[in-house]
Amino acid sequence: MDFDVISPKTSRELLEVIGKYQDKNFRFGAGYTDLINDLNSKPQEDLTVINLAQLKDENFKTITINEKGARIGALVTASRLTDNSILKTNYPVLWEATNSVASMQIRETATIGGNICQASPSGDISCALVSLKAICEIIDSNGNVRNESLADFFKGVKKTSLKKNEILRNIFIPPNSGKKIKSGYIKIGTRLSMEISIISIAYHFQMDDGNKIINAGCSIGAVAPTIKFTEDACNYLIGKQFDSITEEDADNFACLVKKYAKPISDIRASAWYRSEVLFNSTKAIFDKYEIKN
Amino acid sequence: MAKELSIISKSTQKFDGKERVTGKAIYGHDIELPNMLHGMILRTKYPCANIISIDTSAAKALEGVACVITADDADVNMIGYKRDHPILKSKTVNCIRDEIAAVAATTKDIARKALSLIKVEYDVKKGIFNPFDALKENAPKINLAGKGLEQFANKNIAESFHYEHGELDVQKAKSKVIISKRYTLPRVAHSCLGTSNITADYSKLNGCLTLWASTQVPFLYQRDIAHALKMEPSKIRIIQPTIGGAFGSKLDMLPFEPICALLSIKTGKPVQILYNREEEFIASPTRQTMVIDLTTGADETSRFTFREVKITMDNGAYTSWGATTPFVMMQTFSSLYQVPACSFQADAVYTNNPFAGSFRGYGNPQATFSVERNINLMAKELGIGNDEIRLLNANYKGEITGQRLHYKTCGAKPALEKVIKESHYKVKEKKKNQGRYKTGIGLASMLHVGGGAKIYRSDGCGTRLKLDHYGYLTIFTGSSEIGQGSETILAMIAAEELGIPFEKIKVINTDTDVKPWDVGVHASRTSFVSGNSLLGAIKLIKEKLNKQVSKLLCVEAGDFSYKNGLIITGDKEIKIDKVVRDMHFGLPNELCVAEYFYEPPSDFQDKQFRGNVSGNYAFASQAIEVEVDTYTGNVKVLDVYVSQDVGRVLNPLGLQGQIEGGVVMGIGYALTEEMIFENGNLINPSFHGYKLLTSTDIPNIHFYPIETFDEAGPYGSKGVGEAPLIPTAPAIANAVANAIGVEFCSLPLTPEKVLKAIKEKTII
Repeated sequence: MDFDVISPKTSRELLEVIGKYQDKNFRFGAGYTDLINDLNSKPQEDLTVINLAQLKDENFKTITINEKGARIGALVTASRLTDNSILKTNYPVLWEATNSVASMQIRETATIGGNICQASPSGDISCALVSLKAICEIIDSNGNVRNESLADFFKGVKKTSLKKNEILRNIFIPPNSGKKIKSGYIKIGTRLSMEISIISIAYHFQMDDGNKIINAGCSIGAVAPTIKFTEDACNYLIGKQFDSITEEDADNFACLVKKYAKPISDIRASAWYRSEVLFNSTKAIFDKYEIKN
Repeated sequence: MAKELSIISKSTQKFDGKERVTGKAIYGHDIELPNMLHGMILRTKYPCANIISIDTSAAKALEGVACVITADDADVNMIGYKRDHPILKSKTVNCIRDEIAAVAATTKDIARKALSLIKVEYDVKKGIFNPFDALKENAPKINLAGKGLEQFANKNIAESFHYEHGELDVQKAKSKVIISKRYTLPRVAHSCLGTSNITADYSKLNGCLTLWASTQVPFLYQRDIAHALKMEPSKIRIIQPTIGGAFGSKLDMLPFEPICALLSIKTGKPVQILYNREEEFIASPTRQTMVIDLTTGADETSRFTFREVKITMDNGAYTSWGATTPFVMMQTFSSLYQVPACSFQADAVYTNNPFAGSFRGYGNPQATFSVERNINLMAKELGIGNDEIRLLNANYKGEITGQRLHYKTCGAKPALEKVIKESHYKVKEKKKNQGRYKTGIGLASMLHVGGGAKIYRSDGCGTRLKLDHYGYLTIFTGSSEIGQGSETILAMIAAEELGIPFEKIKVINTDTDVKPWDVGVHASRTSFVSGNSLLGAIKLIKEKLNKQVSKLLCVEAGDFSYKNGLIITGDKEIKIDKVVRDMHFGLPNELCVAEYFYEPPSDFQDKQFRGNVSGNYAFASQAIEVEVDTYTGNVKVLDVYVSQDVGRVLNPLGLQGQIEGGVVMGIGYALTEEMIFENGNLINPSFHGYKLLTSTDIPNIHFYPIETFDEAGPYGSKGVGEAPLIPTAPAIANAVANAIGVEFCSLPLTPEKVLKAIKEKTII
């Protein structure tokens, strides 16, 4: 493994470097938990790693939470996110998903931006953020900023809408509008740590005082080339009383969720298994039995 | 009555623990010698092919490459248990591991580049990946050096074992219930954290070869390397660096080891080969995969009548020690519980898969899985409890089994009773389940050798002791430390017997030029044989010391006690180092040394495999409670209750470690681990794809030792290392059956397999 490293310290330096390297082969390095594996398995010639570890731009590095919502810098590590009790209270789905990534050691260094930009169909943090209807803030080498919903940001396996002169700066999560929430992340895998999801379901339902669902987000991972926001299923729930959801409602909801899945068979599970478990686990969100992981 | 002891039976931290946890320990990967070259091996692209040509010219021309070798450059013997394995392949390749060429270069990058420059032309053939296909008459001969046709009437049988006792027909006629099942057991990897490694340094000056090798059987290894390279064994010095896990994987000498030596011989420089994780998965031994066809019976009183078993083992392309696992398996079929009649046949069949090897339990996890599953199926038919049928047929003290194993002590029944009681087996087994999560409980037991296994010409171990002028003791033991904690046990024994504190005890056990002979780490034998050997040496050195003390203190030689660096008799005492100085510098002008070789009192088995092959026998039972998620098929192990006849607890802390490690390995075997092959290619050679359990998956493990004080073992102890994983998988499968009513006959019980079974049952 042989590559050059360039370490911009400020946003200006970063954008300059990105501009300068447009006709060269470069990769961003943030937490390095995926990059080093990638380079080990596929060594690249003439590679420059733009190292983000020394960047001192607050837009990339902070978590800001106020009444307008939460903004999480792309360079925030998974551990910093799980250490944040306000995020934990307001967005349990995000906390659970982030806490399920790999292992404690890896979460200490892996970044939110890195996890998103890997564009893995089984990305845990991404799946949770899609259910939260998160918005990406992207900046290009000329300093132009654009916003895009995270669901649209993913274009395929390991593919995003990022152009070569762009970088993900942070992620915005809208505030909860409901008084109550039912929120969680279901990750199906063989073991509890160091696991890639066989399927995953992120859900974040918001209810008013009377327990009526007024806002619903549900996304699924590892069952299609990208993480899918299950819009029809979410719409189905709007207006329903959460406490009075019947088994039939749960069935209908799970069927609508399943519509978005196009699972494949691979070494981890067959398409049949993914499909079955997606349906069973989605239904279980409304079980009277507590969900266990 | 057991003797009152002050150090033995007290929890003691591992002797080598500090080095290991602080990173001070020197593993093979840490070795760096002056002018050392880096070796790498080119393996075949295809599991079955003829080699048309090998062109190494471009690799040889690359700057920094010191040497490239192929079979043409090596005047060597075939290796392996059956000597059917060329270390470099020149005409045919037979499995995905096959070594075609090797390079030594100044850096790893250059070595890797050189490998990519070697051109091999293949004539790809259709391989045979199923042993039953290999047994067909029209199958091609897979290993050309195999002698199956001459020895076993089939060209693709590599090894075959037959054993029987009792009157099978009579017992069958007596049987009220007969159960026949086919069990299929997967291929799993040892998954040592330290990958395979070797550093070779050949001196052209004296023709001596030094190998830093992670072997667990250094003296057999020395002999094997010598045979492979056509050298004198004593010109080969084996130094064992700290070993990063072995679990049996380092019993066989593998081709990369003589290849590394050859690279050093050719270049005259030290050469090191280190595997990466992918290579470790592809090219290291595995547990034997096998199909077990088992028929068992019980009479109307629920007493077992017979076992009839036919085992077909996938031998892979070459024959390793793995082919001899039937030695151990036949003990389980013949002698786990009381078995009036037994017929056992096991054939190892060549295929184009990689060969297996030795792995903790040595066939016993597979054998015990089939036996213990069948017991549950018989109990169901007989209408008797799973606990009752086991208690009724349990082995007992004084039993001499059909295979002539003599149980002078036997904790089989106490272990069963203990786990039944502690787990509340009876209550939990009858618990009715409703809803998504269903719990179940399962039982299984095991029998394993506990006092070595006399399969080699000697099952012994040598010890030398040196007590110096300052009261420091050096123990030179033939035995090896591979993480199991035997060094600690030896230090504890010496501290107990000689009253020397731990900080004044050294254990030297890593160098064949220095240490006395021992057959190696296998069969859970190390603490048993090396402990007995050390006790023998201590007795001799004490005789010397006692004689000197009686002279110095003008007392009769008699009952001296050794405590805190002192030798005490009556109201007189003297420092042990003073005695040594007196012995050396005064008359009789002797060194304070002693030497002892211990050979266990076990027997060789006869040609019918009968005989008391071990110094003693270990028994264990486990009761395991699981929770099955009927939505996902996921099996969660809740609680594991382990009771094991260990003879006597020597180091509670070390023992707990062995038990927990073994159980975790057993859970992985039961639920998650499997090397997945497609047409001879391993498709999950990484820890992402190969699901070794992690620390967060570990359940509660409750351990209850049974002490039977067997006189053969040091302080009454028995071997413990392999036993804890053996009953785990069948206990889990029995628990899953109890939870959801599905009887599984194969492993692992993956969520997908379990969910499918639940579905199919629901549909029916």
